Amino acid sequence: MRRFKDHLFLVYLVASTIFVVLPLFHILFCVFANGLPVLMKGGMNFLTGVLPAPGDGLGGIGPAIVGTLVLTVLATLMGLPIAVLTGIFSAEYPNSLIGRATRTLLLIMMEFPTILVGLFVMNILVIPLGSYSALAGALALAIVMMPYVAVYTEQALKDVPSRYREGAFALGLRRRTVVKILMSMARKGVVTGILIGIAKVAGETAPLLFTAGGSYTVYFQGINRPIGAVPLLIYQLVQQPYQNYHEIAWGASLVLMLIFLAIFLPIRLSLKEVKL
Amino acid sequence: MNAIETENLKVWYGDKLVIKGVNLEIPEKTVFAIMGPSGCGKSTLLRAFNRLLELNEIARVEGDVKLYGKSVYEMDEVVVRRKIGMVFQIPNPFPHMSIYDNIALGVRYNKIAKNRKEIDKIVEWSLKKAALWEEVKDRLKDKASNLSGGQMQRLCIARALALRPEVLLMDEPTANLDPVSAKKIEELIFELKKELTIVIVTHSPAQAARVSDYVAFLYLGELVEVGKTEEIFEKPKNELTEKYLTGRMG
Repeated sequence: MRRFKDHLFLVYLVASTIFVVLPLFHILFCVFANGLPVLMKGGMNFLTGVLPAPGDGLGGIGPAIVGTLVLTVLATLMGLPIAVLTGIFSAEYPNSLIGRATRTLLLIMMEFPTILVGLFVMNILVIPLGSYSALAGALALAIVMMPYVAVYTEQALKDVPSRYREGAFALGLRRRTVVKILMSMARKGVVTGILIGIAKVAGETAPLLFTAGGSYTVYFQGINRPIGAVPLLIYQLVQQPYQNYHEIAWGASLVLMLIFLAIFLPIRLSLKEVKL
Repeated sequence: MNAIETENLKVWYGDKLVIKGVNLEIPEKTVFAIMGPSGCGKSTLLRAFNRLLELNEIARVEGDVKLYGKSVYEMDEVVVRRKIGMVFQIPNPFPHMSIYDNIALGVRYNKIAKNRKEIDKIVEWSLKKAALWEEVKDRLKDKASNLSGGQMQRLCIARALALRPEVLLMDEPTANLDPVSAKKIEELIFELKKELTIVIVTHSPAQAARVSDYVAFLYLGELVEVGKTEEIFEKPKNELTEKYLTGRMG
């Protein structure tokens, strides 16, 4: 009877795992099944061309791809240095008032509705400047990215056993050098956090709704001008009543997924862990 | 001459007094063992000497520790830690660095050597001092994580020696090693005391008897007895010491 219960439990575990993973595979399958024909039909032009008029064929999503690239790079440049330093600070001074406050704030920020971030940036940047812009979009994405990077950095540093910290200080090193050594021991965790942050913002839509504006018929025009992004394009196209726009949206979905996987897979596969 | 003296040294962790006013005199170029059951404050006492306690935010120190007559709490903590080296219970060379870099790091940082050639010399010298040179001289670029536990611990000793310390603190340096590696470390301690003062913490009376010239028995944060090793092992004055030495107390 006990054995039977044991088996039953195992069956239950397997079933629920499948239940959880199934939607993921379904999404992957759907995106490939609908997106691949579009990519095949559009060819290279789908990646480099610009958005056509309604009903006028496939055209391309070049400006959106470049837009995603520009936004992600800008957001990383703005957010990364601050986020990494914040992570280091809260790992080094966990009991200080600022350290404790930062940690709590970061965890809240991580779960913060991203659409509110978009609203906030609209208020401080878009309205004063009188235009949607790449800068505003990137700032919104940077705000979304920072808590991920900071929390991962902090955790990675905390995961380094304290004996290495003590060992480094015992050699007469100062804090800055000690942190450098600990960071290189924690690099896998830190880089994972950075890439998760980047992957996260590369796929975000909500923070861009009121900030980036969108621009799909011309390429990048400057950081003070509206800019497109792949997820934002998908969101905007799906709402249109035109058949060719829906096809482009599927193609763009596949591109977005490939971008996401391209950021994600290499970390998982290549980065070597420091053997402790 | 005393290498280290403590004056009414007290350490608190938060509200808890863990070192309760310790007065010690550690003569130079000797091996001084601090023994006592787990949790008696041995490691804490050691970390008060090189101010490593300051890494623990809740630790507070009162009283004084003098290195050759000069208060370590009035010196720059970095200088203190260079003059008072330390080896830990679990060997902790930086696993992602090479054997060479593990030693060169502190040397470069503390500006002990001017150029590559001098660093090379110090690396070789300290590895020889730590009886590790013959085993690693052909693979200095190898990662430290590829060494055995005993080799790692000797690398840590070499790393500390490279800074030319006046005192070497050893916090149960053989507790995590196999008997053969442990014996090597003990032999090394014998060699090293010709040149510097060694303070070794151990929970094993047998080890204290083997390696030390002087021994202090610490119990619940208080110094119960201190003196020449032979005298204490032959004729402990305090009942607690006797109980500990005869294995009637953990």
